[in-house]
Amino acid sequence: MAKRVDVAVIGAGPAGLAAAIAAREQGAENVLIIERAEQLGGLLPQCIHNGFGLVYFEQDMTGPEYEKAFMDRAVDMGVETQLETMVIDLDEKREITAVSRKHGYMKFRPGAVVLAMGCRERSRGAVGIPGTRPAGVLTAGTCQRFVNIEGYMPGSRYVVLGSGDIGMIMARRLTLEGAKVEAVVEIMPWPGGLIRNEVQCLHDFGIPLLLEHTVSFIHGEERVEGVTVCRVDAQRQPMQGTERLIPCDCLLISAGLIPENELSRRAGVALDPVTGGPVVDQDRQTSVPGIFAGGNVVQVHDLVDWVSREAEVAGRSAAVFADKGRAKRTAGIKVVPGKNVRYVVPQLISGAGDVTLHMRVKEPGLSARLDVGGVLKKKFRSVRPSEMIVLDLEGEALRKSGIKGELVVDCDTKGSG
Amino acid sequence: MAPRETVVCIGCPLGCRVTVLRDRKGNIAGLKGADCRQGEKYVLKELENPVRTLTATVRTGDEGFPLLPVRTSRPVPKALLAPIMQETVKVKVRPPVRTGDVIAKNVSKSRADLIATADWPGPRGEG
Repeated sequence: MAKRVDVAVIGAGPAGLAAAIAAREQGAENVLIIERAEQLGGLLPQCIHNGFGLVYFEQDMTGPEYEKAFMDRAVDMGVETQLETMVIDLDEKREITAVSRKHGYMKFRPGAVVLAMGCRERSRGAVGIPGTRPAGVLTAGTCQRFVNIEGYMPGSRYVVLGSGDIGMIMARRLTLEGAKVEAVVEIMPWPGGLIRNEVQCLHDFGIPLLLEHTVSFIHGEERVEGVTVCRVDAQRQPMQGTERLIPCDCLLISAGLIPENELSRRAGVALDPVTGGPVVDQDRQTSVPGIFAGGNVVQVHDLVDWVSREAEVAGRSAAVFADKGRAKRTAGIKVVPGKNVRYVVPQLISGAGDVTLHMRVKEPGLSARLDVGGVLKKKFRSVRPSEMIVLDLEGEALRKSGIKGELVVDCDTKGSG
Repeated sequence: MAPRETVVCIGCPLGCRVTVLRDRKGNIAGLKGADCRQGEKYVLKELENPVRTLTATVRTGDEGFPLLPVRTSRPVPKALLAPIMQETVKVKVRPPVRTGDVIAKNVSKSRADLIATADWPGPRGEG
């Protein structure tokens, strides 16, 4: 028999914890988090670096400290957890099928569901690098787990492919632990992560950042012995004659994150091809009634603080749905990315009530003028694809503008950033 | 000629690359490339005494929880990062530990303590 709960949250990372707390605060009586790992917190325990909580708590915290703040709250609020439990199916009627070593096969029938599965790293296969398959090729996040949780050093001489935040942070971490990081190699003309990480992780330790470069070959039979690095042309294709060999025993891949939406797909949730996450409205409801989503499963955020904020919206809405059996109608206006805007979340808004828009630009630029369908205009000194733009749109202004149908967001810039 | 010294300002996403001009005695003669006064202030502070919060781990000897994450209680001069890392290797830690507990005092005479950033109630054993 399926167990009934008010709100079921899938995933116990920063999004899941924030969603569960918000659902309880909104009045949902039994809120259950289902998590496949043996502990709460998702990836926060391995993110021992600081820089968390600057927006949410106005404090500079490490990952474990940020996690503890939410975990303590969740426990105080009486959120139930089901650890070491893997959700294997979710259907359009919100029925959850899960398995665990302890309890075997389980079914849950929640009043509402919050998807909070986060994202996963692009691996060597997703990037597609030719060469042999030796030991010593791993993603930056896997390396982070080895070094910060398990206490193993996967190598002594590293090359990092991709200048995502995790890659740059690991470059610093490995250097502090006594390893040599030969270079961080980035295919784009600009770094993939936050500027503060470029400065504090690479410049501080004299680690070269090779822009418009890629790894074109991995050498070594048993173990990585080196990688071939070369320049790329405007089409991001390797340029012949620019190759050089960098000897190393480990290649870290930090080439971007992909929202983890296998379960969303099984439930028939419509996905946005650009974000890789569900299409959501301003209550973070997906295309399937009663299924909500928040955090990196919706869009890959740059700061965990925004993950928590977004998941709180999903958690509150889920509690309301579980109580009333339906959500208030919010999907009236489509938010459409215009000039130099890659995507905007939420993709659907009601035209009433305040809403926070999250977006990323396609290309960096200076003196940016952001225009949200004429309702809101804002200037930014600079915009970069790696830094998410977060904008509060007032419901009153929206209502007065009388906009219906579509709201186009444009970003005009002068010069490149 | 001295190598061109540049500092990237991290005050905002603009990330201005600021060139430091020095006179013959090596004193700072001026800055070029900062887009605002805050940026200039940041660069001068960076040149005078760059400080960072160091985060690291210390060994516990507990198979189920081999590493305890720690950080310095305040930002420390950049030059002390390596010496403090060497000190963390020698640090002995005993349970129970609560987040915020001092693990080592005044590391490398930085006037900063190493403090725990996670709880470690005691041995968890394997798995």
